[in-house]
Amino acid sequence: MVRGFNIPNQRVLAGAGASLKKLITDFSIHFVWEKKWFFIAMVVGIILLSFPTPNGLSREAMIVLSMSIVATILFVTEPIPLPAVALLIILGQVFLLGSSSSDVSKTLWNDSVLFILGSLMLAVGVVKQKLDKRIAWVIVRITGTKTSNICFGISVVSGLLASFIGEHTVAAMMLPVGITLVTLTSDDPKKVRNLAAVLLFSIAYGCSVAGIGTPSGGARNAIMIGYWREFFFDPSNPETQKFLIDYVRWMVFAYPMFLIQLPFVTLVLFLTFKPEYRDLSRAVVKLRAQVESEGPMKAADWVSIVLFLLVLMGWIFMSDSVGMGTIAILGATAFLISGLVRWEDINSGVNWGVVLLYGAAISLGIEMKETGAAIWVATNFLNLLEPFGASDGFGLWAAVSVLTTAVTNMMSNGAAVAVLGPVVLKMAVVAQEDPIIIGFITAISSAFAYLTVVGTPACTIVYASGYLKTTDFLVVGWKMALISIVIMLGAAFLYWPYLV
Amino acid sequence: MADTYVDQKDLFERRKERYRVLVCIDGSDESYRGLSYAAQAATNKNSDIVLLYVRPIDQGLRSGGLQVRVARENMLSWGLELPGITYLKRGLEQLISGDELSADWHEKITHTDIDGDPLGDNKIEYTNEVGQTIVLKLKTAATIASGILDQYELGPYDLIILGDSGSWGGWAKSLWDPAVAEKVAMHAPCSVLVARGLERGHGHLLCTDGSERAMRMVKRSATVSNRIGSKLSVMAVARDNEDKAEAQENVDIAVAELKSLGVDVVNAFTRVGNPFEEIIHAGKEYSFIVVGSTGKTGLQRFFLGSVSFKVMEHAKNSVIITR
Repeated sequence: MVRGFNIPNQRVLAGAGASLKKLITDFSIHFVWEKKWFFIAMVVGIILLSFPTPNGLSREAMIVLSMSIVATILFVTEPIPLPAVALLIILGQVFLLGSSSSDVSKTLWNDSVLFILGSLMLAVGVVKQKLDKRIAWVIVRITGTKTSNICFGISVVSGLLASFIGEHTVAAMMLPVGITLVTLTSDDPKKVRNLAAVLLFSIAYGCSVAGIGTPSGGARNAIMIGYWREFFFDPSNPETQKFLIDYVRWMVFAYPMFLIQLPFVTLVLFLTFKPEYRDLSRAVVKLRAQVESEGPMKAADWVSIVLFLLVLMGWIFMSDSVGMGTIAILGATAFLISGLVRWEDINSGVNWGVVLLYGAAISLGIEMKETGAAIWVATNFLNLLEPFGASDGFGLWAAVSVLTTAVTNMMSNGAAVAVLGPVVLKMAVVAQEDPIIIGFITAISSAFAYLTVVGTPACTIVYASGYLKTTDFLVVGWKMALISIVIMLGAAFLYWPYLV
Repeated sequence: MADTYVDQKDLFERRKERYRVLVCIDGSDESYRGLSYAAQAATNKNSDIVLLYVRPIDQGLRSGGLQVRVARENMLSWGLELPGITYLKRGLEQLISGDELSADWHEKITHTDIDGDPLGDNKIEYTNEVGQTIVLKLKTAATIASGILDQYELGPYDLIILGDSGSWGGWAKSLWDPAVAEKVAMHAPCSVLVARGLERGHGHLLCTDGSERAMRMVKRSATVSNRIGSKLSVMAVARDNEDKAEAQENVDIAVAELKSLGVDVVNAFTRVGNPFEEIIHAGKEYSFIVVGSTGKTGLQRFFLGSVSFKVMEHAKNSVIITR
């Protein structure tokens, strides 16, 4: 009787010809279906290239623009691995645009890319130091055992750390702290669903709002700094000196915004999710036992803290003269030389494709500027915005912010800034707005991807713990996004004009 | 190399002799209800139950270039279990504490490395003295559906059970959204049960169109019915009144076939109208709607759709597609 279930296997053997045909049709359908967006993107590209060049646009600009549109479709829909999109961009520049291979190679690598590379290596080094338990213990020692205080403490500490060493680093480091507090409170996941949500979102959003604070908070900040220098800085003109934004100057602009956002994180989370336990004393006692079993701080722990502080000082005081990327590389090298982290850990912990991806995206962005494609798109986009009164001033700021927030919720925020940066900076020029303010609006709005799991690195990492649902992000995310946009526009209106 | 190949083939042949059920666990209540059905269907000593949890491979690009494995390794070093393990263990507890299976089990743990993932594929195998096996499997795959289908390739199964719970849905690539169930049902070479608001004890409704395939489905349902002692009913749908006689004939043949296999039919009836609407409507009264898979190839199915898949997609209760 059981044998009756095996008929399908015999059937496959029955007609070799028929099954081969089936195999081919199945394969072609599935392959085409799975990769449909790749083919759609390619067709869009071919159609765009076969159009006659519009007025005011050179042939080269048209090609670069088509490449950007195709790349954006691929970034959002991901039919092929994202590093492959980066490779396509390189190929496109050589084959379609006719640039020489070594010219393209030069645009792939600059201080921003070096910074992304270095800070990722540094991130693995920092996470591997296992200082998380001690940080957790310091938090609960200060906040006591009330759930709301612990959550606020976690988001403040996550935020302060993330603003300097990047949100992904801190999210990876603090995730076990959040989950441990949840599991030590109750073993039954259903009883602590809301508690898990507030604790984990405190980490995720604490890190996300902090990513804007300093240039080293996220790759997107470094990309924007690179664009300002590339687009507006002219060594022969001292007037353009102000477009070289250094570490401290960025902090003066953005750090207050991060600090204002922090209390709202806890507030919004507690209004959205009502945690089941108001007090976590049971979990805190057990956490204390775990920390004590670690023993006192070891020499290696102190060395890593000192090294880390030195890197921070380097960014603040020296990045002007040697570049932020160099300092990041210096830090990573120091961690490797001192033996605090193994190369194998760095090698498996960093996704090198990201470096490639940002390099290619920035290179494309620079081509957008050089061929005049960026200014053409900017002019036409402004004409489009004019009927809505959004072609200058506050209207334009809001439009740029909403545009960036929308794009960044669909793809990684670094890529969003790399793609949008050239266009919005040229829009600022055409509309005679300050490119620095518009640039900050773009870089900062790209952190407002609270709605989706893929939006910000911190959200992705925390979601990987399996304790949150995708719908949780929607429920709480729109409130955070709204608050953040209002705070940022407030800063752009009341605070930044006094700085530029 | 050659040795392992022979072993694999041998294992495959031996597995064919057994009644193997693959239960996909995602932590939802629905998947555990599907599991209790599996427990009943696989009480025989020749049967195995495999519990599967599929986790998509981590995308380091989304996490800003830092691989999620860094975070996962950190979690492991804190002694925290990763999500799927808890779900699988709960499933095992449910199986062992139930009445259907005995309580004496031996444990064996195996681990396969998967590139780029700290966890890889993990397997815990439990065997009891009668020779039954329960396997807990934690698998990493590009997508949930491909993970389930890969698992089929590793050893043939007779039945794949997966839950269809709406709460995980949404546009995101979430677990068991209808797309996963649909994909598995479309590609799996064996029968697929999609559990949906599963309430046991209302019997199976077999839908026949008189075709050879449908008759095979009827025969197989008789086997399952013998196994778990469920009640069977038969229905056929005529597109219009002219076809009514033919539909009645199809029902009669099926009932006669079931009788000859020693199974009593509770209810036998025909309906007139759009097949899939009628089936869904009549099926509400039963625990399961049982349909045969269509013989269409991928291409035809792609353009024409099929009654079976429409039933699976739109029915409010559990559906079994037999192959």
